[in-house]
Amino acid sequence: MMTLVFGGSGSGKSAYAESLAVSRGEGMPLYYLATMHPFGPEGRERVRRHRDMRQGKGFCTIEQPVNVETSLEQMQPGSKTILLECLSNLVANELFDGEITDTPEAVCDQVIAGICSLQRASTHLILVSCDVFRDGKTYDESTTAYLQTLGSVHQQLCTLCEEVIEVVVGIPVYEKGGVQCTV
Amino acid sequence: MKLIIGGAFQGKRHYVLTNYGISQDSVWTGQLPQELGEGTIVIDQLHRWIFDTLEKGLEPEALLRTFLQTHPDCIFISDEVGCGIVPIEQKERQYREKTGRLLTFLAGEAEEVVRVTCGIGQILKGN
Repeated sequence: MMTLVFGGSGSGKSAYAESLAVSRGEGMPLYYLATMHPFGPEGRERVRRHRDMRQGKGFCTIEQPVNVETSLEQMQPGSKTILLECLSNLVANELFDGEITDTPEAVCDQVIAGICSLQRASTHLILVSCDVFRDGKTYDESTTAYLQTLGSVHQQLCTLCEEVIEVVVGIPVYEKGGVQCTV
Repeated sequence: MKLIIGGAFQGKRHYVLTNYGISQDSVWTGQLPQELGEGTIVIDQLHRWIFDTLEKGLEPEALLRTFLQTHPDCIFISDEVGCGIVPIEQKERQYREKTGRLLTFLAGEAEEVVRVTCGIGQILKGN
């Protein structure tokens, strides 16, 4: 089953997605796929905060900023739960790492293909992403390309996911599917 | 305590005044009242108070916790500010994230949480 959990900054989406992964993944290996490059003191602090949150919950952390499907080589075969955090970083990395030659469409297709590989190999795949689309501002060309790519990734994933959950001030709002889960 | 959130200009205050039968005189905008008043107090534009408090170098969560002890039945209204591109300015980033976390804290404490979009209230918590 594939689930998309999204929300704004400080919405509590990570804490919610982690609890969901722990509760769904009981009795099977639990992987945390971290996509963020921890740039600078603020990035390192964010990583530290998230590590503390995951402490003692049984996650095996794999850092994979691009090409997420290659992380499967580091996982055990058989049933598993994967929590990927987060798509908004993954799309930025795929779009801006190295030479910027790929079109938003090509990057979107590549990200979706990687996620589908993870989905096929896992029992539960939980994807975390950020809602970055509602500040009503106009941005430069590269930021606009980013918004377009992430928006397309979200839209395609929402057709593929069984569940889409928006987290608002820590409260889950079921946008699609939605198996009530006491977390 | 009730928490009403939503984007800017979505009719949040109007929703509060009409649905809870509160007079405009009970509304405080962008500030926490210092003295105890009669009846239900509404704190509108809580996000602006959070911004101003951080600007002063104070800790909004501690002040809110103290305020809640003397005003357990108040209504907070706040814009959701975390649904855009992460700002370049560190101060802006901290304000956004802090606001999100404070609203999440208040939502945990609240008996009712409503998100207002285009004037329509979606009840996220409570009756």
